[in-house]
Amino acid sequence: MTPLIKIEKLTKSYNNLKVLNKINFGINEGEFVSIIGPSGCGKTTLLKIIGGLIEPTTGKIKVGEEAARIALKKRKFGFVFQNPVLLPWRNVVQNIELPLEISRDKNFKKTSRALLKIVGLRGFEKYYPNQLSGGMQQRVAIARALIFEPSILLMDEPFGALDEITRSQMNSELLRIWKKEEEKTSTIIFVTHSISEAVFLSDKVIVLSKRPAKIETILNIDLPKQRTMKIKNSKKYYDLIKCLTKILKTN
Amino acid sequence: MLNKNIKNKLRKFTLPIVFLVAEILVWEFLTWILKIPDYLLPRPSRIIFEIFSQFGFLLKNLGITMSTAVSGYLIANLLSFITAVIFTHSKTIEKGFYPQIIVLKTIPILALAPLLILWFGIGFVSKIAIVSLVCFFPLLVNTLKGLKTVDEDTLAMFRSLSASKWQIFLKLRLPSSLPYLFSALKISTALSLIGAFVGEFISSNAGLGYLILSYTRTFESSAAFAVLAMSSLAGVLFFGLIAFIEKKIVFWQKPS
Repeated sequence: MTPLIKIEKLTKSYNNLKVLNKINFGINEGEFVSIIGPSGCGKTTLLKIIGGLIEPTTGKIKVGEEAARIALKKRKFGFVFQNPVLLPWRNVVQNIELPLEISRDKNFKKTSRALLKIVGLRGFEKYYPNQLSGGMQQRVAIARALIFEPSILLMDEPFGALDEITRSQMNSELLRIWKKEEEKTSTIIFVTHSISEAVFLSDKVIVLSKRPAKIETILNIDLPKQRTMKIKNSKKYYDLIKCLTKILKTN
Repeated sequence: MLNKNIKNKLRKFTLPIVFLVAEILVWEFLTWILKIPDYLLPRPSRIIFEIFSQFGFLLKNLGITMSTAVSGYLIANLLSFITAVIFTHSKTIEKGFYPQIIVLKTIPILALAPLLILWFGIGFVSKIAIVSLVCFFPLLVNTLKGLKTVDEDTLAMFRSLSASKWQIFLKLRLPSSLPYLFSALKISTALSLIGAFVGEFISSNAGLGYLILSYTRTFESSAAFAVLAMSSLAGVLFFGLIAFIEKKIVFWQKPS
C-alpha cells in the first residue's frame, strides 16, 4: 500500500537555525499517528508543514498525489490547535460554521447539528465560548475541524491545556469520534507531550530527537484496535510506555 | 427576579447619593456660617434655584454645546477609523505618517484652536474641527492597537482555513478591536466636551462654555455653577450612553 502522506528528506531551517533534519516517513490512510519529542524540537513545525501552512526548506512532502499546499486549499485537512481558538463573539454553532462562511462552499457541508451530536454537545448550540469549560471548548474546536469531513485531522497538543481527568475523557471521546467517522477512514496526526496519551491513542508513534530534530524511532503500537480503559491496565500498555520513556530519556 | 435586580442597582447607588447629599448639606452650612460671599462660592441652594429658574435657557445652551461635541466626536470616529484601517493594511503608509501624527498630538489643542478658527471661521465648523482634533488621537491609537492585537493562534486558524485578508479583517480583526475601540470611545466623550468648551471659550456667543465665561466675568458665580452642573450631567450621560452601547455590542468582554 502506498502511504497517504509521504515525507522525504525534509529539512526546515529558520535563518540559520535548523529545526528539522532529513525527516523521512510515511503515514497510511486511516492510521492514528502520534508525534512525540522533547519540547521545542519542532513537532509543531512538522505538523504545520504536513498541513501545508509552512513550506519546508528542502525535501518533499506529498499528500496523496499533491503538494501539501494544494491539499490545504482542497480542504483535505482539519486542524485542532492547543488552544480551542474559538471566537468569543460567536456562539457554538456560529463557531463551528466559520469554515463554511470562509469558503462559501455549501456542497460538502456536514450540518453543525450532526457535528454537535458527534462531539456530545447537543443542546449547547446557542452557548458562547466563555460559558463553556475547557474540555467543551475543545469539543467545539474538533467539531469545527470536522465540518468539511477532512480526510486528515491534524491535532497539535489538543488536550495539553486540560486537566488529567478531562484529558483522559477527551482521549476516549476522540477515539469514539474517530471510529464513528471510520467509514471515511480519516487519518489523524497527533502531536503530544504525553507518552501515555500517545500510546493509548496511536497505531504508530513517531519519536523525534531534540533540535535539529530527526526521527529517533517509529514505534508500532500493537495494542488491540479497540482501545478501552481496560487497556490501561494491561502489561503491554505499560511495557510500551516504559519503552517510549527510555527512548525519550536516552535522546 | 426583576425586583431583585432593581434592588441591587438601588443599593449600588445608595452610598454615593448619601455622600453627595451630606456634602451638599455641609457645603450649604459652611458657606452660611462662614458668611462666604456668593461670588466666591455660592450656596448649593442658590445653585439649585438657578438651575430650575433658568432651566430652559440652560438646556438650549447645553444643546448647542452638545451638538458641537457630538458632531466632532462622530467625525473623529469616522476619520480615525478609516486612518486605522489604512494603517493596518499598509505598513509603508503607517511608518511614513505615524511620527507626524505623534508630533501633531503633542501640540496642545489650545495652541491650535485659534488657528482652526482662523481657517474655519468663528462659526460651528471651527468648533467641530477642534473637537474632532482632540478626539482623533486617542481613537486612532486605540483602534490601531485593537486591529493589530490579534491572537496569533486565532490568526493561524484563519490561515489554515485559507481565509483572505479581507475575511480576516472582517471576521477577526474588526470584532477583536471592539473592546479597544470602546475604551477609546468612552475616554473621548469627556474629550469632546473639553474640545467644545475650548472652542466656545475662544469665540462664540452661545453654548455652555460661553455662558461660564460670561457669568464669571460678571461675578454671577451661582449661575456659572449651574452651568457646570449641567455640563457634568451631560458628560455623565454621554459616557453612560456609550458604556451602555458597549455592553450591548461587546457582550463577551467581562466588565473591567
